[in-house]
Parts: sequence; C-alpha cells; structure tokens
Amino acid sequence: MKHLIPEFEKLKARFPAGFESSLVLPCVRRIQEDRGFVADADIDGLVEYLGVPRIQIEEVLSYYTQFRRAAIGRWHLQACRNVTCSMRSAERLIDHLSRRLGVAPGQTTPDGMFTLSTAECLGSCGTAPVVMVNDTYHENMSIEKLDRLLEELKRA
Amino acid sequence: MPEIFINGQAVQAQANQTVMQAALANGFYIPYFCWHPQLSIAGNCRICTVQVEGRSWVEIACNMPVTEGLHVLTDSDLVREHRKATMQFITLNHPVDCGICDKAGECTLQDYHFAYNGSPSVSREPKVHATKYHDLSARIMLDNERCILCSRCVRFTREISKSNALGIKNRGDVSLVRAAEDSPLDGDPYSDNVIDICPVGALLSKPFLHKARVWYLQPTPSVCPGCERGCSVDIWHRKAEWRLRALDPAQNTSIARVTPRENPAVNGPWICNKGRDLAQVFERPRADQAMRKGKPVELPAAIAAVRQLIDGAKRPVALLSNWGSNEELAAFKDAFGGRFATFVKRDHEPVPGERLEDDLLIRPDKNPNTAGARALFGESSLATPAFPADTDLVLVWGEGCNFARLPAGAKVVFLNAYLQPENGHADVFIPISVQTERAGHYTNFAGVVSGFERCFEKKSSVADAQELFAALAVEASVAS
Amino acid sequence: MPGTQLLMTFPVTATSHTLADYVARDGYATLRRALATMKPEEITREVTASGLLGHGGAAFPAGRKWGVVHLNDHQPHYLCANADEGEPGTFKDRWILEHAPHLLLESMLLASYALQVRNAFVYIRGEFDLPYRRLAAAVEEAYAAGYFGANIMGSEFSCDVVIYRGAGSYVCGEASGLLSSIEGKRGYPRNRPPRLTVQGLFKRPTVVNNVETLANIAGIVARGADAYKKVGTAKCPGTQLVSISGHIAKPGVYEVEYGYPMAKFLFEDCGGMLPGMKLKCIVPGGISTKVLTAAEVAPLTFDHQSFAAAGSSLGSGGMIAIAEGTCMVRLLQVMLRFYHHESCGQCTPCREGMGWMHRIIDRIVAGQGQPEDIDSLVRISRLQDGMTICGMGDAAGYATIGILDKYRGEFEHWIREKRSLLEGNLEGAVHA
Repeated sequence: MKHLIPEFEKLKARFPAGFESSLVLPCVRRIQEDRGFVADADIDGLVEYLGVPRIQIEEVLSYYTQFRRAAIGRWHLQACRNVTCSMRSAERLIDHLSRRLGVAPGQTTPDGMFTLSTAECLGSCGTAPVVMVNDTYHENMSIEKLDRLLEELKRA
Repeated sequence: MPEIFINGQAVQAQANQTVMQAALANGFYIPYFCWHPQLSIAGNCRICTVQVEGRSWVEIACNMPVTEGLHVLTDSDLVREHRKATMQFITLNHPVDCGICDKAGECTLQDYHFAYNGSPSVSREPKVHATKYHDLSARIMLDNERCILCSRCVRFTREISKSNALGIKNRGDVSLVRAAEDSPLDGDPYSDNVIDICPVGALLSKPFLHKARVWYLQPTPSVCPGCERGCSVDIWHRKAEWRLRALDPAQNTSIARVTPRENPAVNGPWICNKGRDLAQVFERPRADQAMRKGKPVELPAAIAAVRQLIDGAKRPVALLSNWGSNEELAAFKDAFGGRFATFVKRDHEPVPGERLEDDLLIRPDKNPNTAGARALFGESSLATPAFPADTDLVLVWGEGCNFARLPAGAKVVFLNAYLQPENGHADVFIPISVQTERAGHYTNFAGVVSGFERCFEKKSSVADAQELFAALAVEASVAS
Repeated sequence: MPGTQLLMTFPVTATSHTLADYVARDGYATLRRALATMKPEEITREVTASGLLGHGGAAFPAGRKWGVVHLNDHQPHYLCANADEGEPGTFKDRWILEHAPHLLLESMLLASYALQVRNAFVYIRGEFDLPYRRLAAAVEEAYAAGYFGANIMGSEFSCDVVIYRGAGSYVCGEASGLLSSIEGKRGYPRNRPPRLTVQGLFKRPTVVNNVETLANIAGIVARGADAYKKVGTAKCPGTQLVSISGHIAKPGVYEVEYGYPMAKFLFEDCGGMLPGMKLKCIVPGGISTKVLTAAEVAPLTFDHQSFAAAGSSLGSGGMIAIAEGTCMVRLLQVMLRFYHHESCGQCTPCREGMGWMHRIIDRIVAGQGQPEDIDSLVRISRLQDGMTICGMGDAAGYATIGILDKYRGEFEHWIREKRSLLEGNLEGAVHA
C-alpha cells in the first residue's frame, strides 16, 4: 500500500485535524481497488501510517460486506435478491446465473473469471432486478440481458 | 443532589449518576452483564431494564441519567417480562454446558437464569455453533458459544490495560470476540482480568482449566508480593470439608488460582498476571529440614545453634528480607535491637522481559514490603550492605543474597523457605514458612498497610520467622 | 404530476446535474444572498418556521434538531448528510445525488453556515456508483468555483466537505451508526443519551440530516418559510420524494405533495399495476413499515397523519406495490433474511432475535412449521420493540406484525398443508 500514501495524504487534507481514525474506511477501499483485496501487509502498513490499533482495521474488514481479505474472480456479479428484486424475478435470475456459471452464490468459477454473490438491496428497486458487476449497476435485468452481459464480460 | 424514587422509595442520588449507580449505591439491585463500574457504558446486554412510572415501555438503567423526581420501577410486571425475554435471547444460542464449564457456580448467566427466567427453552431452532475452543492467548481460552458479546473484555483492553488487544469480528449472530492478529494479548500483563470480568464462561484461564469446581474452593484474603503495589488478592484453595484423601492430596495444600480482591485504596478490581501466578513462587521445591553445615538436625537443635552463634558474635550483620511481614520484621527488631548491623536486601529483582512499571498498577520494586522495612530500620538499611572487616556472623533471611560477597570467615545463619544449594553451605540453616502459611501485613509503596491470612498449615519441621525471632529474643534476655 | 414540485423542478437532461446548468437555474444565488445578508440564526429560524420534516423515515422536524446546537460554544460542530440509502424499497435520495447534487451541496453550505459547521460530510452507501461519481464531480466543481474552502464568496464563512463512502452495512443508515462509521469503525449505533446534537462525531455536536431533508433547505431559504408552508397540509408542509417499485407499471421516484390522494397517485401517476395485475397490498415507507391492504390504502391521502391513522407510516417513502397472487410468507422470509443479514450484533434482542425469526420462517417454508410458530414470531417482534440500541428491533417487528396481522391465513395454510397457498410466488399473478 506504500505507493498509495501520496493519495492518502490528499484525502487527509480535506478531513479536519485529528481524524486519522476516519481514514480507515477510505484507505481500505482504495487498497482493495488497487490490489483486489486487502492483504496482511496492507493492514500492517495502515497501522503504521494511521497509528490506529490493528484490531480496529480487522474489525472493519470483517464487519462491512464490501471488504474482503482474499482475491475473487475478475468479474464480481452481485445479484440483489431483496424484496423488490425478488418480486421482479431475481430468484429465477440467480438460479440461472448459478447454472450458467456452474457455481453457487459465494463461489468463484474455476477459471477465476466470475464470482457470484447475492446482495441484500442495492438501492435500485425502481429498476429491479439489478445485478452489480464490479462497481457498475446493471438494471432491469432479464435472463436474456444477463446472457448477453456474460458473453460481453467473457470477451472483455 | 437529585432525589429520585426507586420502587416508591426516596433515594438521594449524585447529580452525575445513572439510575444503575444510584440504585446499587442505595441497596437496590438491578441485574447487569455488560455494565461494569470501571468501564464505559456499552448498553448492549439489555438486562438492566427498568420502567419509569407512567410509561408503557422499559429503558436500560445503566445509561439513564438521574433527574430530580424521577420515579423508576425495578421489578414491575413489564420489567420482569422484558428481563425474562432478554434471558431467552441471551441463552438462545448459549450451549448451557454448565456441566463442563469452569464458570459454573460463579456465573452471572446461571444466577440470572434462576432469578429472572427459570423456564425451559422456548426455541425449537438448532443453536448457532461457534468456536468451542479458541486460543485467545497463551494464558486464555475463549469459548465463543458461551460468549454473550457483552464487550467487557474488549473495553477492558481499550480503556484499562490499553493494549487494544481485543475486538469483535464479523457481525450479527456470528460475531466473535477475537484478539488482533499480531496477538498483543500475549504482551498485555493485565490480560487475565478479562477472565474475571467475563460474566459467563467464555473466557477461561488455561492454567485453571478443568482443575476444580469452584464450589470446592474457598478464597483466603492475601496480598500479592510481586511488587511494592501490594495488590489485594484472593488465594483460592480447596475447602477443608472437601479435602481430598485418596486422590492427589497435594491439591489440598496447593493454590488453585489467584483473583483480585477489590481494594479501591490499592488496586481497584484489577491485578496483573504476575499476581495470578503466585503458585509458581510459593510452590517451588520447599526446604523442610534444618541443617548444621549441611547435616540434618532437629529444628530445636538448629535454633540452639543459632543462639550460640549470636551470643558469641562480636560483629554480627543481618541481611533481612523485604518479603518479611511487618510483624516478622518488628519481631526481629524487638528481639535484637542494635545487636546486628541491619540491612534489608531486595529478595527479588525484575526478571528479563518483565514490565518494570506503568501507570496502572505495576511498580519497579518487585518486593512487597520495602516500605515496611524502611519504616522500621530506616532508609540507610536499604543501602548495599557494608560489612565491617571483622564481621564474624551474617544472618541471611530470605532470597536474593549473593553468598560470594559475604565476608570470608564469618559464620552464616540462613533462613530460607526454598531448596537452594546455599542452604547446605550455611553454618546453620533453618527452613521457614512462606506467606501462604502465616498471617501478617505488608506496607505498600504509598504507605497503605494490607493484611494477608493463612491458607495452609506449615510443616512442623519448618519455622515461623516471627516465632523464631521471639524465641531467640527470650533466650537472649534470659542469657543476659 | 402528484401536486406541487419543489425539488423535481427541472427537466433531467444529460447535463442538468452540472454546475453550469445549476447556476443557470439560479444555483448558489441563495447562498450568496444568505452569506451577505443573513445571520446564521436567521436561517435556523426560517427552517424551524417552515416546519420541514426529516425525510429519513422518522419525520422529526429538522428545525427542532438544529435548535439543540448551541452557537458560539467554542467547539467544532459537524454536519452529515445521510446518503446511506439502504432501506429496501427506498431509492429516492439517489435521484438527488444523480440529478441535483449541487442543490444538496448548496443546501449543506446553508446548513453549515446556520450551524457554524466548518467540516461537513456526505455519508454515501458504498455500493452507489453513479450517485457517488456525480456527487464527487459536483464537489470538485464547487471547490473550483470557490463554493467550498476558506472565506466562501468573500465572507468570513469557511467550510469543507468530505464524501465518505460506506462499505456495506444497513445499520450505518442509522444516524449514530453512520457516525461510528465515519470515525473509521464498525457501524455500531450508540445509546441515547447523549443526543448526537450534543455528542456526535468524535463527541462533538453533530447534525445528521437525510439528503432529501437537506435538499429542501436552499428552497426554504430562497423562498421563505411561508411559501414552503403553502405547499402540503397544515401538519405536513411541503413534499416528499417517493420511490415506488414492485408490481407497478411506472416504478421510479416521484415528488408527492403532502395531502395528495393515494389512489390517484398509485393508479394515475404511477400508471397502476403491471398489466393484468391487481393490487394486493402496499409497503408504504420501506419494508420497516406495516403493510396496508389495497382497501386500506385507497382512501388515504399522502401525509403522515393519514398513514398513522391507518396503523402504518410513510417512513422513508419507499413504497412497494404488491400484486395479488404474491405469497406473503415468502415475502416475509425475504424481509427477515435481510434483517438477520444486517443485524450489527451489538445488542442482545436484535443479534439473537433476528436470527431466531429468520430460522423460524425458514422452517415454516421448509414445511416443518408448528402452529405456535406464528405466535412466536409475534412475541419476538413485540419483545424486540423498543429494546434495541437503534430502531432495527422495532423495524423488523413492524414488518413482521404488519404482515402476520393481515395475512395470518397464508401462514396457517403453509404450516398446516406444508406448502404455500400461492405456490411461493413472489412475482404476482396475472389475471386474464
């Protein structure tokens, strides 16, 4: 994470003085964007850089669903299955995805291309069902649109 | 001073108190798991609910400030219903494996179940399983299934010992107390306090694990001799009525565990780990045979020999023990007055890696009664011993003496509790009792005097220093 | 259009969210005027007089919250815009973040000026991508134009803003959980007292307002409290953004004037149900509000009093229209799975109760339900109510009791027959 410190310094400048502890979440997010996950060495580096207790970072990493400590597939498909999405066919969509990819939610395809996850409400109920691919929302999904999307992702 | 009413009774509260504090200070009991007088308010266990009169809901007492004229009920029907419900929630995924739990018998959860619930489980669901045995540190094990996530241990390491060793990982009903991955709990000399403040059997002492049911044990008030703080402790040992006869009778005279005894003037509710390990000090191999030049003799013969040496000495020097109690040190002074050039040595020095001092409890002098000795023999007695050239007798009491430094040609009388090669080299050796075999007092660095009581009988072949000095004094006065 | 529009007043185009377009719509003129001519307390007085209600779910008057903050008390104050929109069914703040980010920022500057805030925060949920990018771009535009930073528009007033991104936790949408998160910790909510306006972020007085609540400030300061109060009803001034989803023909975000007839809103503005579907019931304000049957909702007007009288709440404005043929047992299962997943685990009733309820309903759906399970769900809901540190215990209870009260028969059927009355269908039934 050392090469990210100049970025962290810019971030810090907009926070009030004494808010080092606040930087845990944004720094962890940036590290994860950079590496794909948060490694032990990143935690050590952050402890040193921010001066916060290591346990605070470990707690944060395990508490928030978006953070992870191990690598996942190149494309992270997060299919929402909360109330509105389920009312708009999300459960069938997830079954379809699972069959197409040959993995259950929570698993990664053997080629490392796709990780399938379920999500509990992504705040996109008006355009349900929604599937998030890495950072991008794909809204008003259907089985046909999903198949096309998978093909595009495989080629990308 | 606001006046509040608890169950209709008027109570004078302090302005900044919570209802919990005011209630406990005035003899009203409100149950609590997560609340602890020395820790910040977490308000997570929800067992301390009370009802403000006239309201149709309950609130937690630990976070409710007192206000003038507040009327609270600690035992209304609504409060009882919610307490029972909270107990059901807490025990929902608790394994109720009291039969194999060291905490049984002193477990808040057990007590509260009988006090506030008492019904069989109303759940049909399988319990959520978690780690049954987790090595939290070299000294502490954690049973996550028993843990009720009150966070007392976490707050202790953040607010009291400041090691920030513990935290809660994950979330929801799979939350787990865990130590940080670089295991700072191993380096926290106060870590074992989390065992005491754990209200359930989640955090347990590895050395004590499955060693004894607590109802077979009794606590004897004592003082930790590990440093000049002199923390008040309870030494737990087997009750007389539960003495073992056939099976390992050594357990009858051994220390089962040591826990803090709350003493606001000295240590509050805490002690350091060194105080927990007193068995390692007192249960080292013991000397129980008096000797003259390495040859076993009966205790009276050895005492007669000491008397003879003292009577014949022209320049006797005494190296006293700062592990001696005020009573023992005074007995020496009463017996011999200025007969000896008297020095008080440091029986124990810090061991490598030991924390020397901090702003919680640990003090740099690793002996319990330097202050008591100073009061009796003066500051100069604590200096490095200066032996006159014609020193002809040295009386050494306790550990920490460098025998090579004693004047050559001087006779040596050695009083010691433990097996040590020097015992056999002394002209006269007399085995003496240890702290757990007698009562007495120590004076700590701040001048606070604390007493310790006897846990075990000493062997008859072992002398009690206080009685020994008194006996020698009587003989000396008769002889003169 | 469901009544007077105060926020959705401009056509959404490819550039309508930019600073240039916002300034062309008189953007930041209110800030300029306020900094030049108004004292901080005058802004608070105007907001209080307007009767602006909080739009995060609790409908607490914004002015009363602000009034707790003491000016000139020689300590920092903080303002946090709550953009952690996570209540299932709710996606209305997204509209402001995506289409009117400068309206939010100007409003936050006015609020910061009123509350003597030097550092303001927007806490935005971590999954939001476009809303974050739009807001982040707007912040950079505003900084470049000198609307943030030191001595804004030549005044004595200085203010910085940080966009703080969450990382996946529903509980962080609760104001104190949000502050724990901004402190860089787990999003554990906090016990009250102390109130956050007394001890909030890093123990300093902090105002946490919902994005939509804040977005109304600029209009109130610009046009005055009296003009605001002319919109809506006497007890509910103004408008509320509604995000409607489910089996409805035209899902999306609508700005609805308080007092507007619900039947008209649902069946005209929203185009009624999906073709061939009939309304069974509606979740009125996020899943943590009690469902109202079609018959119950039809005569209501869109305001808090009307919904409270019907035994529910407008909550966060997250409406879900549910069609006939939808299995309410499965629907509650989805809801309870959500609460179980999102319980932070801090306090006993929620940590244990959410999993307990989830396991009970899973067992019912698996065909192993027992007749007493329904009463158990009601009882657990009732005993969590008011017993948790944040409102989540109450919320799960409302959702559960709301459905069990009205659709108990579906549960009894599944328990008795070991299968759904409606084949476990969540997608609604199309009538010929």
